[in-house]
Amino acid sequence: MLDMQELTKAVGDLDEKKVLGLLNEFVASNPSPQDTAMVVSACQQGMAIVGDLFDAKEYFVGDLIFAGELLTSAIDILKPVMGGENTAKIGKMVLATVQGDLHDIGKNIFKSMSEAAGFEVYDLGIDAPASAFVEKVKEVNPEIVGMSGVLTLALDSMKNTVEALKEAGLRDGVKLIIGGNPVTEEACNMIGADAFTTNAAEGVKICQGWVK
Amino acid sequence: MSDAMALAQERNQIFDDLFAGRIPKRVPVSVNLPIEFCIQYAGQDLADAQWNTEMLEEIFDKACQDFASDMLPVLAFRFPSFYKLLGAKNFVMSSSGFLQHPEVEGLAREDYDAFIASPFNCIMEKILPKLYTELDKDPVTKAMTLAKAFKAFHDEMGHAGMVYGKLIQKYGYTDVNLFAGFCEAPFDFVADQLRGFKGISIDVRRMPDKVEAAAEAATPLMIKMGVPPVPSKHASTFIPLHMAPYLREKDFAKLYWPTFKRLVEALAEAGYPSFLFAEQDWMRYLDYLEELPENTRIMFEYGDPKLAKEKIGKKHIISGFYPVSLLKTGTKQQCIDKAKELIDILAPGGKYLFNLDKSPVTLDSVNVENLQAVLEYVSTNANY
Repeated sequence: MLDMQELTKAVGDLDEKKVLGLLNEFVASNPSPQDTAMVVSACQQGMAIVGDLFDAKEYFVGDLIFAGELLTSAIDILKPVMGGENTAKIGKMVLATVQGDLHDIGKNIFKSMSEAAGFEVYDLGIDAPASAFVEKVKEVNPEIVGMSGVLTLALDSMKNTVEALKEAGLRDGVKLIIGGNPVTEEACNMIGADAFTTNAAEGVKICQGWVK
Repeated sequence: MSDAMALAQERNQIFDDLFAGRIPKRVPVSVNLPIEFCIQYAGQDLADAQWNTEMLEEIFDKACQDFASDMLPVLAFRFPSFYKLLGAKNFVMSSSGFLQHPEVEGLAREDYDAFIASPFNCIMEKILPKLYTELDKDPVTKAMTLAKAFKAFHDEMGHAGMVYGKLIQKYGYTDVNLFAGFCEAPFDFVADQLRGFKGISIDVRRMPDKVEAAAEAATPLMIKMGVPPVPSKHASTFIPLHMAPYLREKDFAKLYWPTFKRLVEALAEAGYPSFLFAEQDWMRYLDYLEELPENTRIMFEYGDPKLAKEKIGKKHIISGFYPVSLLKTGTKQQCIDKAKELIDILAPGGKYLFNLDKSPVTLDSVNVENLQAVLEYVSTNANY
């Protein structure tokens, strides 16, 4: 059985060779779905370390992107030995870059970290109109809606999206978080979101707090 | 002498002093209002006016009338026509009419060696067809498309240049042009146009040697692009910096800084100062910026103005730091107070040009009255 602490540390260190080496070895040993679930959890703990190092300004956005890629490769290796049942989700989230904005790097970082934390994420992509949010929220009934944007024009789109959710009677059923370069506390108040962040790791923590 | 000419003389003197390291009569004021902002401000349609550029003169004129600045306050950096002709993937219009740079991959990971061996050939043969769908055609169609796109480019830019000239004369702006040339830091070129934000972030970890060699290979091209035919202290090559704040310092020091420094030095040697936009927060790298040739012009987005002034304020010309977000959410008094605060920190000793921390892309990015009040305040009160 592989050393969970060693794996968690290797993920935290973003030591790709070591992580993939450990996982390949693990998969070759024909593990049970229960053991695999523990390994997934060890990887998730490693991702939490990545988030902490980002907060501590030892890692930067480029490192978060790489971490997302590393986790994807890790899950790909583990998939064949995962049971169907060990993917319990902690909550659902509808996420997109808002209308008028085509930037998705920050959104994608937040998405991969949210998935790593156990959220089921419905990603509507970029330039997403308010109506797309409304339809998806109706369809999947998420706990959380995340809106992302880089340009200052995104703030108005976020506001419009919140208005549309209100009109559809969906606003009170969800927590709303906004993220990206232009968001501030004042913008958050103006838009009527529940939280804002320019830090993906912090955003994930906020969302985890909401579904506890 | 007309009022406008007298004004232009006064303003040129202020900029001469600024660039020579003398203390000018007052803090020079500049603001960059992008084409989209100006179109909306003039009450015109974004789709219309970005294509029908005959409308630009009136549109820009209105912005010049209403926003105080010592330098031409309007700029059309890009037009959709030539990108559309090329079938561009690297500059795309959003549903609301804003041309943007989405994440693209112009160079596949396995083509690094081809780029490193011969960057120009690789751009022609592999990268252009990936970035521009209309250049992914047979040679004859490709040649025609390129010819059409360049015709459109020169028509649009030439027309815009003529409009700028008229407005500079009419309003007595300084002839200083911070956007006279354009290029990217070599690493940013590799990131933005070749590998994408995601691709480069992965490559930095997986194949740093290739990234380093690719930035190295891009450097002569960026120098060539950034050096203009006629050097002038009243002009700058604009270099919008992108990736550095998203890297660890150790990666920055090895992969980003050396070729970027060489670029700025080469432009300075050719008699051409650089105007850098330090996107996001560059406070970690102030000691590096200090090494650049004296009087490099640097506009900061975020960070600590005090620290920047202390570390590089004697050597370089600082601008920026004024939060556009405050212009949207603050009261008029709060906005003016912020300007005062920044001037108190950055103006002493000269080498400071007032500017916002970024260009407001849309009209509703700011409360227009706040922006006007701040520009007016700085123009009339920031005397030395």
